[in-house]
Amino acid sequence: MQAVGTRNSRVWAGRILFLLPVSLFFIFFFIYPFLFTLATSFTNWRGIGSMKFNGLANYKKLLLDPTFRKALINNIIWALSQGFIQVPLACLIAMILVRKPKGWRFLRTAYYLPNVISTVALAMVWVAIYNVNGPLNAILGVFGMEPKNWLGNPDTALFSVIFQTVIYIGYFMIILLASAMNISRSLYEAAEIDGASTIQQEIHITLPMLRGPLVTTMTLAMAYGMRHFESTFLMTGGGPAYATTTMGIDLYLKMDALRYSEASTAGVFLILMGTVVITVLRKLLGKSDPMSEMAQ
Amino acid sequence: MKSKQTPTWIILNILKWVLLITLLAVAVLPVVWLLISSLRTNLELQVSPFGWPEKFQWKNYLTALSMASLPRLLLNSVVVAASAVIVNTIVTAMGSFILSREQFKGRDVIYTILTAGVLVPVISFMVPYFSLITKTGLYNHLSALVLVYTAVNIPVSIFLVTAFMKSIPKELEEASIIDGCGFFRRFSQIILPLSRSGLVTAATFCFIYSWNEFVMAMLLTSSIESRTIQLGIKFFTSQFITDYSSMYAAVIITIIPSVGGYIFLHDKIIGGLTAGGVKG
Repeated sequence: MQAVGTRNSRVWAGRILFLLPVSLFFIFFFIYPFLFTLATSFTNWRGIGSMKFNGLANYKKLLLDPTFRKALINNIIWALSQGFIQVPLACLIAMILVRKPKGWRFLRTAYYLPNVISTVALAMVWVAIYNVNGPLNAILGVFGMEPKNWLGNPDTALFSVIFQTVIYIGYFMIILLASAMNISRSLYEAAEIDGASTIQQEIHITLPMLRGPLVTTMTLAMAYGMRHFESTFLMTGGGPAYATTTMGIDLYLKMDALRYSEASTAGVFLILMGTVVITVLRKLLGKSDPMSEMAQ
Repeated sequence: MKSKQTPTWIILNILKWVLLITLLAVAVLPVVWLLISSLRTNLELQVSPFGWPEKFQWKNYLTALSMASLPRLLLNSVVVAASAVIVNTIVTAMGSFILSREQFKGRDVIYTILTAGVLVPVISFMVPYFSLITKTGLYNHLSALVLVYTAVNIPVSIFLVTAFMKSIPKELEEASIIDGCGFFRRFSQIILPLSRSGLVTAATFCFIYSWNEFVMAMLLTSSIESRTIQLGIKFFTSQFITDYSSMYAAVIITIIPSVGGYIFLHDKIIGGLTAGGVKG
């Protein structure tokens, strides 16, 4: 009895010891920040000095703030573009590559390449591409189009920054391709015998079979759209005239101006909107398991 | 197959390749363009953004390395990324071992909470991270970045490594228990060596993230002594304002580690991305 008890407690000591480091990291960098953001969002904290509870004042101020509203609208545009343009494009490419055309392995590897290059480097290249004297205008000039200041013009800036992200389909394509490869070939063989064309096979077999992964990737894509920050921050800084600002950029600018509690409120909104997207999409589009595919 | 070569089929086939090649161009050409531009002279760049260098200007790379504190920033990035990978791998291996090989109440709850971290937009934590790092006196220290990068990658790493460790057959471990192996020996001599491949995948993701990260580095450091290369090419390239070709050389140097790692380990990375996808 004594021996079993000691053995058991030693096992538990081992388990706790092994889980301790990962738990500490998680508590300090996920749980504490979440509670901290939530708590300070109800105060007037400015980094230094006293912290006073001021109820929903920050929330009211934020919702009436035209810049934040603009940011929220831009994030919604981002989410819709990623969910309804980037993912369908990724799906189309996955449906092509699953039929293993020449060089499909190379294409799969190449399409993911931009995801391993830093946003800073990519932003630098794309700023050059979008430049008035840059390659894009040079190419469009061949077709007789007037050169445009893509990132400097409020009318084209948002479209330009979104395009730079949406055109890189590698991440979602790889997830969808892996799922498409798991569809039993016998389904296609049977359809072939029945005389179904390739396109009919894609619409009636591949798409329905990919429903689960499609819901997952769309949810992910829209959640990413809601939290978009980096490439826009690097290419335009949210400008010109807030045309490309997002909630993340708004949060950063508020923090930079030492309006910490308002930045926290924006942070709460960011978390909230992401959660709303994930919950609503799962309700609307049915069961999926974003958790199992969140590994980026 | 022959019967399919109708006009519609030919048109669709052409459209298919146009699409595949356009996306390939968008993915690869920016890097190719950067590489070629980094080997041209500034005069060549000014004449036209496109074009083959008359003579490869390898000295642009020497200029880049001799200016802009680039070596120091590169060293900082190497130290930060390597440390984050090491700490993250150790912490994750230990945690995943318990979450995959031990049975106890609450285990799945802990796993769900840890992996749910990926759902959290980390940029919403800019204020608390800044506050936490300042309060602990780690502001403007490389260790601040090591801690943040380690932590941010924990949900993904735990997900990948736990899934990998779960796939190791029970029999291997049971034999060792009968042989009298204790808790620590089971971890270090059975599970750890067998999960090497899963750990490498998680470490690769952690490395690419840490090497490329920009926002937190901007937020938590302020001087060259503790800044990383990503901040370097964003902010310290002002010295290059008229020397674009050297600036492009500097950018190429910064993408070599992540792109090189990807070229060598792309099967592992793609496998890691689809570890969950296959289940869905």
